[in-house]
Amino acid sequence: MHVLLVEDDAVLADGLTRTLQGHGMLVELAVDGLQADAQLQRNPPQVAVLDIGLPGIDGFEVVRRLRARGDTTPVLLLTARDAIEDRVRGLELGADDYLVKPFATPELIARIRALARRNAPKTGIISLGNLVFDSGARRARIGDKPLELSAREWAVLEYLLQQVGRVVSKQQIIDTIAPWGEDLTLNAVEVYVSRLRLKLEGAGLALRTIRGFGYLLEAAPPAPAA
Amino acid sequence: MSSIRGRLLKWLVGPILVVNLGAAALTYLLAWTPAQLAFDEGLRHDAATLAARVRAGGAPALALAQADDGAGESSWAALHDGSGRLLAGAPRLRPPQRTGLMDARLNGEPVRVAVAEAGGGLRVSLARTTRARQQVRAAIVRSLVLLEVLFSMALVGLVWFSVGNGLAPLARLRARLDARGSADLAPLDDAQMPRELVPVVGAFNALLGRIDAGARAQDDFRANVAHQLRTPLAGLRLQLEWLAARHAGDPDTGRSVALMLQANERMIRQTNQLLSLERAEPNRFARARLAPLDLSELVAESIQGFVEQAARRDIDLGFELAPAPVQGDRFLLRDLVDNLVDNALRYTPRGGRVTVGCNTVDGAGANAGSLLRVEDNGPGIPVHLREQVFERFVRLDEGTHGSGLGLAIVRDIASLHGAELRLSDAPGGGAVFTVNFP
Repeated sequence: MHVLLVEDDAVLADGLTRTLQGHGMLVELAVDGLQADAQLQRNPPQVAVLDIGLPGIDGFEVVRRLRARGDTTPVLLLTARDAIEDRVRGLELGADDYLVKPFATPELIARIRALARRNAPKTGIISLGNLVFDSGARRARIGDKPLELSAREWAVLEYLLQQVGRVVSKQQIIDTIAPWGEDLTLNAVEVYVSRLRLKLEGAGLALRTIRGFGYLLEAAPPAPAA
Repeated sequence: MSSIRGRLLKWLVGPILVVNLGAAALTYLLAWTPAQLAFDEGLRHDAATLAARVRAGGAPALALAQADDGAGESSWAALHDGSGRLLAGAPRLRPPQRTGLMDARLNGEPVRVAVAEAGGGLRVSLARTTRARQQVRAAIVRSLVLLEVLFSMALVGLVWFSVGNGLAPLARLRARLDARGSADLAPLDDAQMPRELVPVVGAFNALLGRIDAGARAQDDFRANVAHQLRTPLAGLRLQLEWLAARHAGDPDTGRSVALMLQANERMIRQTNQLLSLERAEPNRFARARLAPLDLSELVAESIQGFVEQAARRDIDLGFELAPAPVQGDRFLLRDLVDNLVDNALRYTPRGGRVTVGCNTVDGAGANAGSLLRVEDNGPGIPVHLREQVFERFVRLDEGTHGSGLGLAIVRDIASLHGAELRLSDAPGGGAVFTVNFP
């Protein structure tokens, strides 16, 4: 995944670059607004991660120019300020998401991935742990072993994979997989998830239950060295 | 302390009373002088009549006999010749030195004496007591004193009322200032002010403006410092995380990096709390920002962070969320939820259990309204310490890292929203924090 990172603080820019690279992203760095503006035109990324407080022209202005060109590149704004005015202004100018520094790394990664998926064609292949999930071909496998899923299980897993690293509520799952008010109960969701959990054994994934709320899918942490 | 009312009263009532007294003295003279003249005229007329009778050759004794007029006054008449010898009448009357009117005393009583020429060097003296005059004078003085007292009282009352009336705008100004909130530094409206007060209000507004600007500059400075810290803290965290992953196999370095990450987390948390405190300042709290919110949604928005924190400490974090509508400031209530849950996750022992719930209760009971509950199965908080935990910088467990600000922030935000914050025992041991929104 190609990410344009625009951040003028050297320590944070370096840390972000290495962290994003560590998650398999191709990172291009710009250190001021004008440079970002130029790179966005020359080599459009899949996602732009943009600090608001930049030398030259600020992040707001970069977003404004981007959208004025009709460019739909997803933009995640980073800011040190959490004033509501900033948030509203950024989103009004056409930014897609907003994260306040200092952020938790999994949250950042999850949001960048979510933005990338929004613009990506539906045929994307997601791989996590040993699981390879091809939503275009509607095929999935764990390692070399094909994974057999019912339509509902498929829909639940697809949603969880889209939201990987993020807590999702049972209600969100219902709203996503049965959006036309089909009679799907919270209990039914629990049943699908427990079946998925069985089928995903050995996939190197952790599907955690958040008591009374929902679920969190993430890559299982490497087994602690004995 | 000097008083405008006192000064005005002193400088109005004093001179008015002096002028009044002067007027009263003049009135007395104007009333008394004609009365005196009338009495004198009567006396001289009587003396002249006696003299005319003596001149006409009437027997002096007879002529002088009708001296007592019987009107409550006593009169004495005497006839002296040119050498001062008494020819007839009252022997006590002294021989007159001249004609005309004069004062004298007779039998220890003041008398008025009229002396008239009776021809041939003879002089008739007619002395009369002054009782009627004294009565008239006393009547005049009595009336004047009475009127004077009444007038003066009326004047003082009028002046008092007028001064009060004149000072009413000041009283209104004071009432408006008294009615202000402790942190209200908005300028006063001078549209309704009398012309004399406009410059005062103007000067006062200028002062308010300077104070407000100073307070804002201070707030902005603190907020700026906290914001400035966030970028380097974020950078530090990422660098340390990278280092931790890189040295996962090296226990010594790993331990050191883990400690640095903990310190970094604490700095981040305290920076955020500083900003929370800033937002929870009553003078920053804008009622206009209150919006209908649902506690269950606010909790849901914060869950991601809680889940990671709970996982690190191996705490079973659960939720019991039902719709719970409140009127509130979204950011402050997020701070409230964050700090309350953070507190529970922090003080519950490893492997413990924390449950966050919200719901709404209809009716008028003690629990009516929307409730946020955070329950843990930690050690609980002894009754005698329950007030203290909401104070700033109080930590019950010195072994736990915390700023001691979290629960103070919770208390401040709850009170801004008119919510009641309660701390009680959980059924199976542990503490329950309840925030009850109206």
